[in-house]
Amino acid sequence: MSTARELPVVGPALDRVDGPAKTAGQARYPSDFDAPGQAHGALVQSTIAAGRITGIDTSAAEAAPGVLAVFTHLNVPPLPRGPMTGLGVSPPAPLRDDRILHHGQHVALVVAETREQATAAARLVRVGYASVEPVLDLDDPRATTVDDPWGLDSERGDVEAGLAASAVRVEATYTTPDNTNNPLGLFSTLAAWDGDRLTVHDATQWPSMVRETLAHVFGVPETSVRVLSPYLGGGFGAGLRAWPHVILAVHAARELRRPVKLVLTRPQMFTSVGHRPKGVQHVRLGASADGRLLAIEHRGRSLLAAEDDDYEPFAAGSAVAYACPNVLTRDQQVRANVPAPVSMRAPAHAQGGFALESAMDELAQALELDPLELRLRNVADVHPALGLPWTSNALRECYAVGAERFGWSRRPARPRSQRDGHWLVGQAMAGVSYPWYQAPSLARATVTADGHAVVGGSGMDIGTGTYTVLTQLSARLLGLPPERVRLELGDSDLPKAPQAGGSGLTGALGSAVHDACTKLLDAFLDLVRDDPASPLRGSAPEDVLAADGGIRRRDDADRSETYDAILARHGRRELSADGSSTPARPAELGMAPAGAFGAHFVEVKVDEDLGLVRVSRLTTVIDGGRILNEKTARSQIIGGAIGGIGMALFEDTITDPVSGRIANATFGDYLVPVHADIPAMDVTFVGEPDRASPLGTKGVGEVGLVGVAAAIANAVHHATGIRVRSLPITLDALL
Amino acid sequence: MRTFEYVRPLDVPDALAAHAGDTATAYLAGGTTQLDLMKDGVLEPARLVDITRLPMRGIFTEGTALRVGALTTMEELAADPTVERRLPLVREALLLGASVQLRNMATIGGNLLQRTRCRYFRDPGVAACNKRAPGSGCAAVTGPARMHAILGVSERCIALHASDVAVALVALDAVVHVEGPEGDRSVPLTEFYVEAGTRPEVEHTLGHGELITAVEIPRLPETTRSGYLKVRDRVSYEFALTSAAVALDIENGMIRDARIGLGGVGSKPWRAAAAEEVLRDAPPGPAVFREAAEAAVTGAWTVPGTEFKVELAKRTLVRQLTTVSEVAP
Amino acid sequence: MTFTPEVPPAAPDSHPGVAGTTTAFTVNGTPRSVAADTRVTLLDALRDLLALTGTKKGCDQGACGACTVHVDGRRVLACLTLLAQCEGREVTTIEGLSRDGRPHPMQEAFVRHDGFQCGYCTPGQIMSAVALLREDRARTDKDIREFMSGNLCRCAAYPNIVAAIRDVAQRGGVDADL
Repeated sequence: MSTARELPVVGPALDRVDGPAKTAGQARYPSDFDAPGQAHGALVQSTIAAGRITGIDTSAAEAAPGVLAVFTHLNVPPLPRGPMTGLGVSPPAPLRDDRILHHGQHVALVVAETREQATAAARLVRVGYASVEPVLDLDDPRATTVDDPWGLDSERGDVEAGLAASAVRVEATYTTPDNTNNPLGLFSTLAAWDGDRLTVHDATQWPSMVRETLAHVFGVPETSVRVLSPYLGGGFGAGLRAWPHVILAVHAARELRRPVKLVLTRPQMFTSVGHRPKGVQHVRLGASADGRLLAIEHRGRSLLAAEDDDYEPFAAGSAVAYACPNVLTRDQQVRANVPAPVSMRAPAHAQGGFALESAMDELAQALELDPLELRLRNVADVHPALGLPWTSNALRECYAVGAERFGWSRRPARPRSQRDGHWLVGQAMAGVSYPWYQAPSLARATVTADGHAVVGGSGMDIGTGTYTVLTQLSARLLGLPPERVRLELGDSDLPKAPQAGGSGLTGALGSAVHDACTKLLDAFLDLVRDDPASPLRGSAPEDVLAADGGIRRRDDADRSETYDAILARHGRRELSADGSSTPARPAELGMAPAGAFGAHFVEVKVDEDLGLVRVSRLTTVIDGGRILNEKTARSQIIGGAIGGIGMALFEDTITDPVSGRIANATFGDYLVPVHADIPAMDVTFVGEPDRASPLGTKGVGEVGLVGVAAAIANAVHHATGIRVRSLPITLDALL
Repeated sequence: MRTFEYVRPLDVPDALAAHAGDTATAYLAGGTTQLDLMKDGVLEPARLVDITRLPMRGIFTEGTALRVGALTTMEELAADPTVERRLPLVREALLLGASVQLRNMATIGGNLLQRTRCRYFRDPGVAACNKRAPGSGCAAVTGPARMHAILGVSERCIALHASDVAVALVALDAVVHVEGPEGDRSVPLTEFYVEAGTRPEVEHTLGHGELITAVEIPRLPETTRSGYLKVRDRVSYEFALTSAAVALDIENGMIRDARIGLGGVGSKPWRAAAAEEVLRDAPPGPAVFREAAEAAVTGAWTVPGTEFKVELAKRTLVRQLTTVSEVAP
Repeated sequence: MTFTPEVPPAAPDSHPGVAGTTTAFTVNGTPRSVAADTRVTLLDALRDLLALTGTKKGCDQGACGACTVHVDGRRVLACLTLLAQCEGREVTTIEGLSRDGRPHPMQEAFVRHDGFQCGYCTPGQIMSAVALLREDRARTDKDIREFMSGNLCRCAAYPNIVAAIRDVAQRGGVDADL
């Protein structure tokens, strides 16, 4: 039969199959759905960061026009906390008591007939507080800390001995601020109960997780809960949890016996659905005089909510980034009165890559060695911790192709040596080794009597192109034109697939789709095994391939039959097969599963007097294994890299040091890149299909972001001679 | 947003009558400040008088000035041929402000009356704001205040007036024409705005219920060169960290006249008269530009988050003086 | 006094709740009369009362551009426009761009150039881009970037959006939207 191995390394740039719907305004996002008889919710959030609620006066709100109910901790029964998920604990239940743990914590939900009424009445809820001084800072001595939160701290060799043996050492501290995911789509939940059956349109990246959570919290079977997220206005990690507002909307709908729709405001998006937490990192590097790394020590600390968890091991990636005999990584989290952090595109690696790749640039400078040459001398040609060969690794090719396309050889070594009018010009680079991640997945493939295929799983397309690449994949595997394949995603009633996150969905769901399509062909062969009317009778899977809307013998193109003909003759309306995929196991492979690799080459211009920083060129080369669709994959890399530009130059969620209130919780004040900030970008894919999965893909959703901030900081140094170790790099630091 | 009555008068007398000086009534023009603040719960009018259908739109030449109807949008004013030819600093200030969509909505009258972007002012959940709740204090002075003002401010209020075009217009001695229950009057823009001072809630001299009907902009002499420089983190679509509107009349190697407005720094659009005085009758050059810049920021009052703006404002002005005068730096 | 219009209470089946205004205007070429609470913005009226959910709400504060529509041919933000202000106006939304069932060239170009990922900002980007051509501001990539900067894209499809606009501009510029 046809296999993924026969796919091209870089797949055809098919236009997105959901493109016509999205460009026509016909794609329906969670907030685009309404239910008959729905009421509207509006949240009231705390205006202190720590303390207790001493009283809530809801009388004015309850008396306001159209108000149906006001939910507070006084009238909401204790709701169980959601279950453990594949990514850790669920957030604490909402409105569980009178304690305030962060500014912007939900303290009431007002539900009214209309959006305007609910919003107006929410302002009428009067809350009394007994405030205590909040813990807001990484260095607050009152803060409790969590050491090695994920068991990822690592040590090999002897770092102190390595440093002692090094001819050149660098040591520096890097800080990164809170960043906010800020998907453009306001998160929205529409919850409708029908008896014990619950249907929820939710802004989630993980419908099956929300289903499990709601079933657990509200004590109903999972089969009674349906969570839909066919389109989502971005997430970048914010949609990886069943947040308290989701629970509240579902609770209100159950209490009021009518559908409730709750759409967060933009300021609420800063406190209610996570953020990339701020942190401090300390890096020590040592190298021999010829630029061989002898020691890497990377210690990271990040801020964490008072009673919630988050995955943010800044330092862990440094254990496998380079071939180095002596490595120590340590991570610590500091609990504070801040909103819950969450994974934000390339969690931990966004921050860790900034520190490590900045430090590598500092080391190159100290060695008087070209920064690219330093990386090349320390490429980990085998997995540096496991000692196993990689399932794929084209990092050297990333460096070589990037250097060629960027014109690296023309770069002068000396900082502050290029000028264009009042602009100082600099070029620099950074390398990326992104970790491998995959979760188990199920999928189903069906061919119907009209010769069309329906393929799906509960995973969703956050904009990465899942609909499109799985359409292409299924079409190829089933021998159908793409327009005869329909993908069903974003529905928890479909076979369970993992989250759109961790750069792992295409690999996981794609492999499950591959399996389902393979089994579907087997099922067709089973159907005709003893069928005297079928030219395929008695064929084994290896004898055939899928083509032209059906199956044909490899050895005889005339012996073929279409799916619809087979189904018609056997009186079947359709034939389905379920598929599954499980993550590869390194021990079984005898190899170390590789994530994506990449290299970024950046040119910046810095105004000598005004400190303005502009990115003028960016060349990125990525080893993403097999690329199913060059067009959508390239968009992923572009989007990630621009996320990196935002992190480097603009993004900074600012918390008021007295109140704990986020002081810039709007799109006017929290700056993300706009059109005018972005130059033409050069993206190239290199490498071979990865050997860890049948598809040979590696995730490309996050790798594009990692290292960009370091490359920009390094380029700012090359332009100006000024080393900036704190993000974002704003003009204040360069005056 | 609380409920309100909406009325849409068709002429100015009806608008004034509909407003009637009622403290619970507000005018609505482009809406880009008014509706935003109503959504935030900062403004809660019981009646909105939509003035967008009043006959106050259009650009007319009157002697040596342009008379701009108050409802003329930012985009319309920027596209005016006379503005393009004779008032580059106004055109540049307009086009560097906001986005096209907002400039299609925002009127020139409304732009002058725009409220501060201070996020402490704009969040009623913050108790201490002297501008919103007189006497309550200022939470911004101890906060992160990168987007706040350093001139005409004190510990009572550091809110910034964020308009770009108003900076150009104060430099040009534009005049605001006002109609109100007591009749018509004209106010030079330099006297229209009030420094934060002891009463941050008072931002200008317009009486409640008065309407700006037009703005009169003197045209610059043919020999005058001008321009607007806006310094910000992003390339576009961001309020100014600092800005400088500069018009220079240079004759025989001497600055005959200088007009300077500074943005991103003042509790009101800042006219840098002391800097103009330094430049007048001096030969253009780096030394005198730096001297003027020093004079421009005299009296700056900073908090930790705004300290950098003193130096940045000076460099911004020097750069723009250099650009406009075409003197080698 | 000639206030227009003196407003009756909203019909309860049109928009439940307090007294409001009735606004007669044109949406995508079709005359509409909508009775609603005075607080209702054009954005919420389109989405909630007229079932035109193609126009998106990304901030509701005039800062992201997702709600960009054309009012009397000019691009504006529907979130900072009251429905009542639209009396007599002609509003065009993303749903009104296609002609005779054919997508607008800008819609096709966005698909061709992959000018979106999640797609949420896309209707606003396209409405802005169509207006940009009408404004004759698509002559250079620099101009396209500057005059599209009021439309945020968090997935950051920016280079592809610029490519799509450049493509349409080169194929026929302002005539492309006829």
